[in-house]
Amino acid sequence: MTDKHVTPLASAHLAKEGDDAALGDTERHGFLPIETNWFDRLFISVVIWVALSLFWFRFIEPIGLSIWISNAIALALGAFIIRKG
Amino acid sequence: MRSNKLGWILLAPTLLILFFFGVLPFVYVVFVSFHQWNPFAASPEMIFNGADNFRRIVFDSAFLNSLGVTVAFVLFAVISEVIIGYMLAQAFMREFPGKAFFRTIHTLPLIMAPIIVGSVWKLMTTPSIGIIPHYLDKWFGISMNIGTSAPAAFFTIVVMDIWHWTPLVTLTLIAALVSLPRDPFEQAQIDGANKRQIFWHITLPMIAPALIATVFIRLMDALRTVDEVWMLTGGGPGSSTRFLGVHIFKEVFPKTNYGYGSTISVIVLYLTIVVCWLLYVSMLAPRNNRKG
Repeated sequence: MTDKHVTPLASAHLAKEGDDAALGDTERHGFLPIETNWFDRLFISVVIWVALSLFWFRFIEPIGLSIWISNAIALALGAFIIRKG
Repeated sequence: MRSNKLGWILLAPTLLILFFFGVLPFVYVVFVSFHQWNPFAASPEMIFNGADNFRRIVFDSAFLNSLGVTVAFVLFAVISEVIIGYMLAQAFMREFPGKAFFRTIHTLPLIMAPIIVGSVWKLMTTPSIGIIPHYLDKWFGISMNIGTSAPAAFFTIVVMDIWHWTPLVTLTLIAALVSLPRDPFEQAQIDGANKRQIFWHITLPMIAPALIATVFIRLMDALRTVDEVWMLTGGGPGSSTRFLGVHIFKEVFPKTNYGYGSTISVIVLYLTIVVCWLLYVSMLAPRNNRKG
């Protein structure tokens, strides 16, 4: 296909290599078993935060440990996943 | 830069609609889930109660029972639909007399509204007038009453869902199978691969994206089934078919407990997203990684 056949809409998809990187959308392989971009890692962190909170409400909080401990753990874990995941 | 601008302009209407009809209601439901709110009570204002609704939900036996029943329903229904749908799709790939007619009538359930499906199945399963209990009794001596038997009610809903939604699976898998190239299959046959090997090593990996998309759609639909179940059993007998959708409906409308109902909705959405994401990662990510 020559350039003159590329429609404006199609040309929007034909981004040069490095455009994704400029948008901060690069995928990388950290300690997580899959390649992830920053949004994937944020998503994983939120999923873990919610799961940990529900687990904490059900099993840990009745013992007497505050939910804020769970939030602190989830926050630290989230930061670790986003930076190193 | 110019193409980016054009792209954003073209996307703007969609993004606006998504924002107002998708993002905003979602944010509002999350907001309400942190409140105690009964708009029809003597004091109809929202009262912020922190995470108390979430604290309550993990001990709520009615919710946990609904969750268990829904998971069982989803497993039975979706797995059956995928297996039967694939077998029907393979059957439709071959030529046989009356294929066009059969393919047409097999898609008819798809165009029926769920509420109609529920009422039709209610008529068919009502003990005194229904055709199903009549013939089960006449041919096999089985007495079926979905009003009193929990397993009968549960499996009737499973069968109804399979009947209603298997054509969708069949259609998407037919589309996937038709688009497959013939070369790998011919080469595999020349190399002496048997049917099972061809299925596991060629067909299944090649239709995996379509299969996963179909499973996602069915999973999400099955997790929020309400209308068919509401028409057929109303969640009974007892709470044996009180699926999450029905549970939310009963919590929000008859009890007008909007805050707690929103909390259940948020948790159901969370579970749906997590299940779909895990499925996606476990089945599609290894393929993408291999390509990379």
